[in-house]
Amino acid sequence: MAAAQAQIQSSPRRPTQVFEDRGQRLWRWLTFSPALAMMLALSVLPIANLFLTSFQNITWADGQQVRTWVGLTHYQALFSDSLFGAGISNTLIFAFGAVAGQMVLGFAMALLCTKIVRGRVLYRAIFILPILIPGIVIGAIWKLMLNFDFGLVNKALGLVGILPHDWLGSPETALFSVIVVDIWHWTPFCFLLFLAGLESLPQDVFEAARMDGAGAWQELIYVTLPLMIPTIVVTFAFRLVLAFKVFDEVYLLTSGGPGTSTEVISFTLYQRFFTEDKAGYGSAMSVTVIFLVSLLLVVALSARRRTGATS
Amino acid sequence: MTSTTRIPRRNVLKGVGMAAAASLVPGAFRPLYAASVAPITIVINQSPWFESFRKTVEVYEAETGNKVELDVNPFAGSLEKQRNSVRASAGQYDILIMNSGWFAEMYAGGFVEAITDIDPGFQLDPEVYTLGDTIYYDAADKTMTKAGKLMSMPVSPLIPMLYYRGDLYEEAGLSAPKTFAELEANAKKFHNPPGMYGIVQRGARGPHTVAYDFYPYLYGFGGGIFKDQSTGDYSVTLNSDQGREALDYYVRLAKEAGHPKTAASDQAEVIQAMVTGHTAHIMMVIAAWSQMDDPNKSAIVDKVEWAPTPSVEGFPTSPGLGHWLAGISKNVPDDRKRAAVEFLRWFQTKAAQLETAKAGGIPVHAAVYKEPIADERRYRWMKPLAEALPHAVNIYQFPEASEVISVLELGLNRAVAGEITTVDALNGMSDEIEKIMAGHAYKTGKLDPLK
Repeated sequence: MAAAQAQIQSSPRRPTQVFEDRGQRLWRWLTFSPALAMMLALSVLPIANLFLTSFQNITWADGQQVRTWVGLTHYQALFSDSLFGAGISNTLIFAFGAVAGQMVLGFAMALLCTKIVRGRVLYRAIFILPILIPGIVIGAIWKLMLNFDFGLVNKALGLVGILPHDWLGSPETALFSVIVVDIWHWTPFCFLLFLAGLESLPQDVFEAARMDGAGAWQELIYVTLPLMIPTIVVTFAFRLVLAFKVFDEVYLLTSGGPGTSTEVISFTLYQRFFTEDKAGYGSAMSVTVIFLVSLLLVVALSARRRTGATS
Repeated sequence: MTSTTRIPRRNVLKGVGMAAAASLVPGAFRPLYAASVAPITIVINQSPWFESFRKTVEVYEAETGNKVELDVNPFAGSLEKQRNSVRASAGQYDILIMNSGWFAEMYAGGFVEAITDIDPGFQLDPEVYTLGDTIYYDAADKTMTKAGKLMSMPVSPLIPMLYYRGDLYEEAGLSAPKTFAELEANAKKFHNPPGMYGIVQRGARGPHTVAYDFYPYLYGFGGGIFKDQSTGDYSVTLNSDQGREALDYYVRLAKEAGHPKTAASDQAEVIQAMVTGHTAHIMMVIAAWSQMDDPNKSAIVDKVEWAPTPSVEGFPTSPGLGHWLAGISKNVPDDRKRAAVEFLRWFQTKAAQLETAKAGGIPVHAAVYKEPIADERRYRWMKPLAEALPHAVNIYQFPEASEVISVLELGLNRAVAGEITTVDALNGMSDEIEKIMAGHAYKTGKLDPLK
């Protein structure tokens, strides 16, 4: 049988078959090429243009654009840009802090939801509510909630005798406050993915564990968590990349202040590229940010591969 | 976010009707200034004075039958839209309403056409404020002096004024503070948090927030950012002894008589503190005056008085210009440019400016401040404003101003928040500004660092 298969595989193809294969390949390329061209035009070309601009200075004279080649100057300047440094470090603190909070809370909520028998749909609807609210509304809600003079948070603390605190205006708590808002906003995203993961776990494994006398805690540690690792890794990777790109919450709540305490990289980029109109330098910063986000994605995906997660 | 404001047809018809009636009764109404011209689009920001501008435009439409469309945007959004429009091959906006932070960029980039190039016969009304001659630009010398061409028309001559609680001052037997020492003493006297703060300052980091709030202090103490912009000397003098005194004072005022969240307070919050009766003083652009006496917005109707911003002995009041200018885009069709000139020709008249004042705006015509309207209680801010306007300081005369503003916003905010000392803030900002100016090939330098 094996010899027969080997013979079939090694037998030369007929000339007409080769011709048909070529024709099919050509047809495939022909039908695929419009999509490829569109993809190139929409994603690769803008990034290539961004990359090219990162080596240039752009100024305006007599209503005309003047481009000057400056080589690696903008990339070198990044190292001495204090705002860029603060942006990177705050973004890392923000991304890991917020995502960790969202993962723990999202997992706990998903677990809770799987145990609930009555009103499950209602709970689900309530849990996912924050993710449905537009970013601008979230900014307004939390700006009011955290207001020093009449915010609900300070009012509530006042009821137990705690003095009001300037949550968004104090360098010690501003970043923490923005992280809390992000956790509130994005926990439902983790909750949804975890809920889908938990509901697709094979029930026979749990039944076997229970027959072996496993308690609820042991079931969680030795059965649920190991089975959920692929989902956890994917959720973590998604959220980390999204958290790295945070902008709206920072822009609306603190504008990067006080000082640089909530300066995140997207906001720095906005300042340099748009407010200050430094297109060349802003492009160099953009290319660097794209590189960093890609790096994060590669690390997360390789971790996913190591855990044996399937797509 | 953008909203497009269209003028209701009914108002236009009403206006046309009035205009028709006026033509039948000679002398009953003022003459029509503008000819029938192409419709124009104006890009503008949503500021406290916007409503008055909108109402003034309505009057223009009613009087002339000409059409004006307003594209209304947030502050930063307006700049971005203007940049996109003027850099395109064909512009979307005929008139650009430009802030003091970016009109130099528009002049120097060659995006704005001189009004007198479009209509050589255009005459600027001699009583219109030239606001540090910022309406002129000499492209060869890159300076803003009368030797240059007429590039724009003032739309809102905004400067900060001292708003103070007249009722509290009367009770305490005090008079409006003229010096910073008097302001500090009075602010401390009224400071009784959390119900009443001596002063609420605009210390947040923003597009032009804490820096704009700080200018009257900096220049009122005799300091400045550059040595002499008018002669092209951009040596940085921010970290002078006067600069230090000003910043020390600003931070001390915030700590000892100000709001605990000064480092996070923006314009809206400062105004809110005043209208809710929680502060005795604010320094704010005069455009917010109408909110003080609006019973729907204010708990302190008729209790606020205005005065020029204080200064130290020997220096005049020195408010920083935060004004708005209307320039005509170079990349729009000629008929629309001419239509834009017609609008500006009408807008600069005393009659139009009187309408602006009645609608809650700030007139750009000096004669309006001498009219009986200035004696009315509702317009009690007009005389102090007229007193302060001649002393207004044009902070930036170069197109890269936004880079310097970013440095000031960060450095000042960090000092107010207590992240760094005032000395470190001033030295750090001076270094960065000097680097920016050198990078753009301006004649620059810096002082020895403060210790």
